[in-house]
Amino acid sequence: MLLLAQANPLGGLNLQFDPPVPWSSAWGPTFWSILVGVPVTIILLYFLKLRRKPVQVPSTFLWKRSMEDLHVNSLFQRLRRNLLLFLQLMAVFFVLLALLGPQMKGSTRVGQRYVIAIDTSASMSATDLEPNRLDEAKTRALDLVDSMGSQDLAMVIAFSDTARVISTYTGNKGQLRDRIASIAPSRTGTSLREALEVAAGLANPSKQFGEGEIASEVQPPRLMVYTDGGFPDVEGFSLGNLIPEIVVLGQPPAQGQSLPSSNDGETTDPAVPPSNNVAVLALQTARNEERPDQIQLFGRVRNYRDEPVETVARLLRHELDEPIGEGRLIDAIEVSLPARGSRSFKFDLPDPGPVGLEVRLDLQDDLEQDNHAYAAIGRPRQARVLVVTAGNRYLLNALTTATAGDAAEVVEIRPEDLETDDIQRALLAGLYDLIVFDRVAPSDPPVGNTLYLGAMPPGEAFEQARPVEAPIVLDWDISHPMLQYVRDLPLVLIREARVVEPPPGSTTLIESDKGPIAFITPREGYSDAVVGFSIYGEERALNTDWHTKLSFPVFLYNTLRFLGNVEEGLGDQVQQPGQPVVLRAAPTVDEITIDPPREPSSDVRRSDLGTFVFNGADEPGLYRVSWESGDAIEQSVFAVNLFDARESNLAPRGIPPEGVTGREAEPYLIKIGYTEVAGTRTSQPARLDRWWWLALGALGFVLVEWYIYNRRVYI
Amino acid sequence: MSTATPSPLLDPEFLTKLEQLELISRKIFVGRMKGERRSKRRGSSVEFADHRNYSVGDDLRHIDWNVYGRLDKLFLKLFLEEEDLHFYTLVDTSLSMDFGDPTKLHYAKQVAAALSFIGLVNHDRIVIDSFSSTLEPGLSSVRGRSQMWRVVQYLDQLQAHGGSDLTAAARSFAIKHPGKGIVVVISDFMDKRGYEDALRYLIARNMDIYAVQVLSREEVEPELTGDLRLVDCEDDDEAEITVSAPLLKRYKETLDAYVGGFREWCTRRGVSHIFTTNHAPFDKLILNYLRERGLVK
Repeated sequence: MLLLAQANPLGGLNLQFDPPVPWSSAWGPTFWSILVGVPVTIILLYFLKLRRKPVQVPSTFLWKRSMEDLHVNSLFQRLRRNLLLFLQLMAVFFVLLALLGPQMKGSTRVGQRYVIAIDTSASMSATDLEPNRLDEAKTRALDLVDSMGSQDLAMVIAFSDTARVISTYTGNKGQLRDRIASIAPSRTGTSLREALEVAAGLANPSKQFGEGEIASEVQPPRLMVYTDGGFPDVEGFSLGNLIPEIVVLGQPPAQGQSLPSSNDGETTDPAVPPSNNVAVLALQTARNEERPDQIQLFGRVRNYRDEPVETVARLLRHELDEPIGEGRLIDAIEVSLPARGSRSFKFDLPDPGPVGLEVRLDLQDDLEQDNHAYAAIGRPRQARVLVVTAGNRYLLNALTTATAGDAAEVVEIRPEDLETDDIQRALLAGLYDLIVFDRVAPSDPPVGNTLYLGAMPPGEAFEQARPVEAPIVLDWDISHPMLQYVRDLPLVLIREARVVEPPPGSTTLIESDKGPIAFITPREGYSDAVVGFSIYGEERALNTDWHTKLSFPVFLYNTLRFLGNVEEGLGDQVQQPGQPVVLRAAPTVDEITIDPPREPSSDVRRSDLGTFVFNGADEPGLYRVSWESGDAIEQSVFAVNLFDARESNLAPRGIPPEGVTGREAEPYLIKIGYTEVAGTRTSQPARLDRWWWLALGALGFVLVEWYIYNRRVYI
Repeated sequence: MSTATPSPLLDPEFLTKLEQLELISRKIFVGRMKGERRSKRRGSSVEFADHRNYSVGDDLRHIDWNVYGRLDKLFLKLFLEEEDLHFYTLVDTSLSMDFGDPTKLHYAKQVAAALSFIGLVNHDRIVIDSFSSTLEPGLSSVRGRSQMWRVVQYLDQLQAHGGSDLTAAARSFAIKHPGKGIVVVISDFMDKRGYEDALRYLIARNMDIYAVQVLSREEVEPELTGDLRLVDCEDDDEAEITVSAPLLKRYKETLDAYVGGFREWCTRRGVSHIFTTNHAPFDKLILNYLRERGLVK
């Protein structure tokens, strides 16, 4: 690098030259010799040019008149030959100057830093831009990378519902291009907050040194967000020194579109223009209450277009014992959707057993993903429950009601039977899904989930249990599945109970004024639920009146479903892409195999909580689950659906329509904390480093001029 | 300048066509000799026109004695006087006429020869003069078809030389030929001194004037490229130009304006302006164009 000029008076900036072809390089001397020869050649050519060719003509009369008309005989004309030479020499001078790579550098200058955040959410797969929004976003980001200067740094974040750092800060453009090109679409929702938090964490490296002294970047980083604006406003977030610039992708709404009133009573946001999309926003299965042999499938479709849509919803069946493919058509209904309205639909079908169902809309729109919705129907399963009790009829009655009987098959034994070999083997073999111990505890924990009533499980952690009298129920965890619909616990009177500090990892179910009187604790993949009191106390005296309350059978039924693995959760729960899926299987199973729709299958081991947690459900569709049970292979299925109205609404947000300003524009703006950010359709790269092409263009211009002169052609 | 051998001035086939034509004038001229042409002026010819009363001094030979015998009154017989037409041709022989292929001068000679032939066939008086910087000694008045060889001989020996001074030539011409008649000036009219004064001398003589402007195709559609130093062949005046599309466009506009201005000037003063190039078919100029303009019929 050649340092030519001294520090200038404007503030210590130095003019440096960083030629792209250094003199010391292999062909540097040749290159610069040719360049220096260019002005010399121009001067020589100019002298040649001065020798005008004489031509005899009948009369110069009209020519002189013509030139007078063109004012070419003016002073400028007389100067023309010199001016032309001057201009040419100036052009070459600038070329040479450009090729020297001049740079103004100062002691305080640092390169611009960019945080490039690319939205990869489901709506970015919309094809209203060719080929889709994500590819357009990547192209824009690549343009930005191309325009970066040699001192600039950029990092890349891909975000959907979570944010992922694709590339940390680097000035390596090749690496940035590769990383940006590798960004794949996700099928999940959007959360700008995730991206902002990641960006802020990496882009605001302010550190405090000493008291009140904060070292921060001289030049704040620019956060470039390439998105379609399909995310909620980010509240309570401070951008710090990030300067956000949101580049909104997607077709802008046509001007002057009216908003028709929605027929289905749904409110339409006036700030949201229509988009070319029709989406299934909900799908759920339920057993017909009146006819248990029938399954009902409820769904809802929304039309985001500004015109009514007639379409057909086809119901397809996917068998579990074959790969999830096209499916077999079993039903179809016509769906008429008003403009920007929604409709519900329902399918009735005989109970098909464990099977995957798909509802597919027959139409073409900009987002294909939400034209499909999936549902899974699991096998209704009976839990095998062992009740160890000394004739607690309230307990047995509650476990053998008609409803509970559908869920569980209850075997009753006496406490003394626990010592028999058959029972011992059965407990070790895990033949029971749930073992209820009423005022008795085994010497070793069984293989299976357990419920202890008025007793503590074996183990050191429970040896500290202490008896308390007349505890009053203060609080209970209504969000826990075992306590669903349990409401009247404060009315329960308890004479005596045993209280212990639950071991780490436990969840307290019922809190009393004396301590936790019910909790659930994990044990090697199983769960032990403990209720510190029983119906009967010593001498078969009633210890509580819980059995007279509605909450008692409800609690036991919940326990059967939750700990007895009756609720397999495969068909009922709505799983969203990108979220962990919690699965349950028979207690003897340690590993299950999950077959995602597109990716290869993977094995999942039982977690400490006794469940199987699958983290790879990134794609909407049907996921087959299989596990070995004895000699047979059991199969099940669960469905993952996006069902996100915000993603399905493809109208890009963030740009106010033309002519809208001030307060009227506020609904269109994206709010980050207290900052309202207006998106742009195009991003202006901070710096266009195209001097190389300009220089070559100037050189080409001179060559063309010489050619024209040489060939004596006129244009 | 053309070096090619020029074609003969007239060919026999064309001459037969020309025999059918005659020169006509829009003005009444008094010929010096009785000619074959019927004059609008009554005079002494064989063709009766009218009678008038005898007055003293009239030529007694023209008294109609038959009428006197019947009416006992003296009447003078009036005859349409036959007159001969004086047809002048003024050919520009300056160096600028030596351009084009065929040269403008050759084209001018052809026009002069054809018009002279028409005149000779009709027993008109033909005078051909040439000029460059001054009026040259020309072909004196000839009459009759038999004199055609003299016309061709005179035209053949004309060579381009010197600069052009149309005004001086026209003044000399007007002094030399005080009589009236048709005068056809064949030139490129690219005189830097202008054409106005020259034509005024002729207009003052009450002559029936035809200005035939001959330009070469090189002047109308210049095929010049590059940086040039244009040298005027007559006065060595120079003009340095860089040929460009705007300049060519401007040149054509200037030419159009000049020719248009010339035509308008002529029209206002009763002068017939005829524009042609050396590539325009020569016979059509005579047979069609001049006929339309009323010079021949």
